[in-house]
Amino acid sequence: MGSLRRHEGYLLIDNRESPGVSDAMLHTVWPPLPPGAGCGMFEAPTITCSHCQRVVILNPLRTRDRAYCPKCDHYLCDACGVVLIQSGTCRPFAQIIDEAMEKAVKGADNG
Amino acid sequence: MAKRIQSITTFTPTATADTTALVDATYVSIVQGGSATQRVNIIEVYQGGQAGASSPTFMLLSRDTTVAVTVSQSTGGTDAPLDAATAALAAPALVGSTATTDPQRSATAHLLNLSFNAFGGIVRWVAAPGEEISTVGNTQPLGEVSLSAFTGGTAGLMGAHIVYEPL
Repeated sequence: MGSLRRHEGYLLIDNRESPGVSDAMLHTVWPPLPPGAGCGMFEAPTITCSHCQRVVILNPLRTRDRAYCPKCDHYLCDACGVVLIQSGTCRPFAQIIDEAMEKAVKGADNG
Repeated sequence: MAKRIQSITTFTPTATADTTALVDATYVSIVQGGSATQRVNIIEVYQGGQAGASSPTFMLLSRDTTVAVTVSQSTGGTDAPLDAATAALAAPALVGSTATTDPQRSATAHLLNLSFNAFGGIVRWVAAPGEEISTVGNTQPLGEVSLSAFTGGTAGLMGAHIVYEPL
């Protein structure tokens, strides 16, 4: 089994040559950026949630555990992590795509 | 298949609320499947600020609840393959920021917040291989992703590109 870091993307927000964006303004937009991301140079790894494809910016200052799905061996966003705990069901986005494509193909066949 | 790059050299986004029609030529682009079964991966997004004064600009990569119809490029918009030897697809993915029916951003499927100050700011996001954001088909809720400005701040002049790959 490889490291989960193999799934990490990369985000750069470079406001070194600009006034930047205050934390108060950043928090008006969802999904939120980590505090300080709008000032100076911010670099962070990202993960794409395996269940919904939302991109999660890994806040280096976070101390809470990240949601993880052992069935698809991926980190999840917090919202999908809650759903996984409540339902125990792993429904990765790849499966959702497969189902959508199968539905489209069957629709084309029937049409 | 083949990676392609949708870019726009310079434009000013219009800050638009969710589930409201985006205005032609005031968003970076949509990426929509070219057929009911086509899948498109979004690999990279880049934004470079060009504003002449402080312009906090709240850009969102998001799925759309109303997909664009009859899509074309706005002034300064281009779509090109990354590899010169790329062959044309029978059903190319749809990209651009002008449409006869304008897209509407989902209120519940924001995928990535790419906010920055367009007065000299730069933003770049790259997905790890296999972890790309994908669209499937050409209808909502999974068939289209857009990069546009959310309400708030003072959206400023910028250029941007999206690297994508139809599968």
